Amino acid sequence: MIDVPALLPALPEWLPRQRWYSGQAEPTSLTIVDQEIRGDDFPVLVRLLLAADGFTYQVLVGVRSRDEHPEFLRGRDQAFIADIATTRGDAIAYDAVLDPELALVILDAVAPHEKAERARLMGAEQSNSSIVYDERIILKLFRRVQRGHNPEVEVTEALARQGFTSVAEPLATQQVGEYDLAILQPFLAGATEGWALALTSLRDLFGMHDTSSIPIITLDAPPPPTDPGQAGGDFAGEAARLGAMTGGMHVALGDAFGRERADSGSWAASIAKQVDALEPGDVDPRGAQAILDQLVGLDPGAAIRVHGDYHLGQVLRTDAGWFVLDFEGEPARPLEERRRASSPLKDVAGMLRSFHYASAVARTERDEGALEGLAAAWENRNRQAFMRGYMRAAGPGSILPPDPECVGAVLTAFELEKAVYELGYERAFRPEWAHIPLSALRRLTEAS
Amino acid sequence: MTEAPEGSWFQRAVFYEVLVRGFFDSNNDGTGDIRGITERLDHIQWLGADCIWLLPFFQSPLRDGGYDISDFYSILPEYGDLADVVELVEECHRRGLRIIADLVMNHTSDAHAWFQESRQDRTNPKADWYVWSDEDTRYPDARIIFVDTERSNWSWDPVREQFYWHRFFSHQPDLNYDNPEVQQAMLDVVRFWLDVGLDGFRLDAVPYLYERDGSNGENLTETHDFLKRLRKEIDGSHPGTVMLAEANQWPADVVDYYGDGDECHMCFHFPLMPRMFMAVRREQRYPITEILAQTPEIPEGCQWGIFLRNHDELTLEMVTDDERDYMYSEYARDPRMKRNIGIGRRLAPLVDNNRAVAELLHALLFSLPGSPVLYYGDEIGMGDNIYLGDRDGVRTPMQWTPDRNAGFSKSDFAQLYLPPLMDPVYGYQAVNVEAMQRDPGSFLHWMQRVLQVRRQHGDVLGLGSLEILSAENPSVLAFLRQLGDRIMLCVNNLSRFAQPVELHLARLAGKVPVELFGRVPFPPIGDLPYLLTLGGHGFYWFELVDSQSARNQ
Repeated sequence: MIDVPALLPALPEWLPRQRWYSGQAEPTSLTIVDQEIRGDDFPVLVRLLLAADGFTYQVLVGVRSRDEHPEFLRGRDQAFIADIATTRGDAIAYDAVLDPELALVILDAVAPHEKAERARLMGAEQSNSSIVYDERIILKLFRRVQRGHNPEVEVTEALARQGFTSVAEPLATQQVGEYDLAILQPFLAGATEGWALALTSLRDLFGMHDTSSIPIITLDAPPPPTDPGQAGGDFAGEAARLGAMTGGMHVALGDAFGRERADSGSWAASIAKQVDALEPGDVDPRGAQAILDQLVGLDPGAAIRVHGDYHLGQVLRTDAGWFVLDFEGEPARPLEERRRASSPLKDVAGMLRSFHYASAVARTERDEGALEGLAAAWENRNRQAFMRGYMRAAGPGSILPPDPECVGAVLTAFELEKAVYELGYERAFRPEWAHIPLSALRRLTEAS
Repeated sequence: MTEAPEGSWFQRAVFYEVLVRGFFDSNNDGTGDIRGITERLDHIQWLGADCIWLLPFFQSPLRDGGYDISDFYSILPEYGDLADVVELVEECHRRGLRIIADLVMNHTSDAHAWFQESRQDRTNPKADWYVWSDEDTRYPDARIIFVDTERSNWSWDPVREQFYWHRFFSHQPDLNYDNPEVQQAMLDVVRFWLDVGLDGFRLDAVPYLYERDGSNGENLTETHDFLKRLRKEIDGSHPGTVMLAEANQWPADVVDYYGDGDECHMCFHFPLMPRMFMAVRREQRYPITEILAQTPEIPEGCQWGIFLRNHDELTLEMVTDDERDYMYSEYARDPRMKRNIGIGRRLAPLVDNNRAVAELLHALLFSLPGSPVLYYGDEIGMGDNIYLGDRDGVRTPMQWTPDRNAGFSKSDFAQLYLPPLMDPVYGYQAVNVEAMQRDPGSFLHWMQRVLQVRRQHGDVLGLGSLEILSAENPSVLAFLRQLGDRIMLCVNNLSRFAQPVELHLARLAGKVPVELFGRVPFPPIGDLPYLLTLGGHGFYWFELVDSQSARNQ
């Protein structure tokens, strides 16, 4: 009833409005790699794999009668694709993930044995869309797809096979040809992002302090604690458990994908190149060089498959402890690169940088300079707690440098790399946050 | 129409724990007594409690707060006599209140006539009523509970020249439940008090009744078998009686004390309590949701007993080392507050006398699954006196009025069993029932009101299922309680800052949340996430009604 090629003319204009679209402008070429139609009456689901300017996208098109004016499209202009003609009359085409009814059809295509009653779309990510069914299972649809095993599917399956319990074990996956299209997992009900928990802790800490310049006149009221460990919202216990989970994840990744001999020289060279691209004055070049010199001269431990984009937004606190999410890596990078073995301390550095970000963002929220010392104390306490949990779980020797002193040196090098990356990102997209990586760079290089 | 829900009284009840010595002194000898409680039943009834729990009132040398009973059939003379108890029970029942009492099954005082007879020699008629041994090495796996004072579970008796077994203090020898005569004797005790009219017992220290080689002497099959026998006997002779077990164990182990619904009716949920405090300190829900996730279902007809504070310490035996350190550092900054391995403080000082936190904690206590147990004095936000030794810091006289001796007694001040609190914050001139009764905005009035609302929804809150709702904001704890088609939505802000929350309630689209304190209808639930904002430490109790009935209100 639907003439799929008739949809094509509307798509070049529609695609650039989607978050998961890679290009800046309308694609110059658009071809259908694969197509499937489900349903012979409204609503109809059309699943397309589209090749556009070297990238491949999964597009899910819903089609309903033009008279319906469905509620779920109200206020969602970016989801509307086109008015089209069908054998059953005039219709509209739109992004099907918003349609609770078609969401059930999408689920049926991935996992016919899973029955659900209700669907809701979770916030859209850069490269995928997630639909939650009955607050019980979650379907992640990869929107920007590549030939070969999607790292999310590959790593999650491997970790679950290793008996690592802090990932949501895949219930079903969907492939078309060489493309991984979707993964279905248990929904971690009641979970919150590590980032939200860290900010809760920081707001509690900062909220205890009266930063006005006029002292309260009391006889003997106890002063607010300057040690974050004394604060009600102390995060160190969570940080230590998060560290332990991270260590366990790396051990499991090493077991699943193998351990390689690491080449600290090539790591140093790669980081040096990124440092060189900075603007003058961003870092103390001698400090940066000292960090890299140290890296070259030591045994950096094993290289293993890593998470690749590890921070507080990628971990979830649940009633059963911490869980890790999203092994896709940086979606803009080629698959080959995303799967390359690296130091587990690269992930650790990412998390430690995230602690700095949390403390800096929470302080900026309050716009009170007087809190700087407290923010640093919070960051320091939780770094240490995280590392304590991590080192206990990962253990020296197997994947980490045999010499514990080397752990710190490798970590510093990767923190440097991460902060350099952050600075570039913030300058391009969020200049008001550029001071965060900048202060980290200065701290790292001036200390060396 | 909804069918009348089943379930027993204790599944909906609010318990009120009374220290006989500390409640009211009817004869002005400086010590509270049974008649004093009878005279003050108005207060308990007005507050809205359903069942009184009396701490031990039996004859006792009082070396362990009366948990060292020297005669199960007589009353401690300073508390009154059997006639007083009968009068109290009858007066409770006349008012529709129920009343249960502490009963120690595991051991007696060493002053008990049974022990005095048993220790005489190895052949007397009660020679085998206690656990005797020539060696002090048997049962090495049984932990020592009072690590501060006891070095062994065995003590030497110079008269019989043997060691006797005791899981608690050395002056509390354990009864030998392998002896059928002991079992029968304790069943007789139970039957006697049920005939007097008690509605049940809080069974002290139940996990330890039996000892067996190669075990830690806790939760043994034999212990469960005896409790089942006890249950069967009292179900037959006194239906409607409640057995409330004190088994200080992890919930997964505690549920064994429910049997298949044929053992104890109620058990205390110990780990929930410190975690409610922890959640408020951390401003996040995981301390609570974590323990609820580890709490198994219990058989039909059973109920948890939940509490914020009681006469003992915050019980930390069963939390992990990390959490124990945390509770110490957060709630017991003064090392004198540490006792045994718990903390002896009352609710108000524990929360820095913050009324909003006290209200939030009670809102949680009254809306989570379980029957809440209140501790006398917490309804007026009484404080404690940590400079009194042992557990006495939280056992000071009830503060009735701003008059002499807090209106608790007309005795000479020096005659009082303990001095009432007199400090400027928690002292009886600032904190007392009379003043709070006169002040409609007082915490006492708030407690009375919230208990009224709880009573109106006692079926759902007492018998309903629990479902924790997902919320991206970790400071918000939201859950549904549901019984048949009656649904309550409870939303709690554990943070002192205002917080928003979006709840995914599309499956309840069309229902209207009606706030229960003011019967204010909120906007109906739709397909989009339901947005609520809460003030610092705020909470909502909603009933979810069909839009039709909301309009008719």
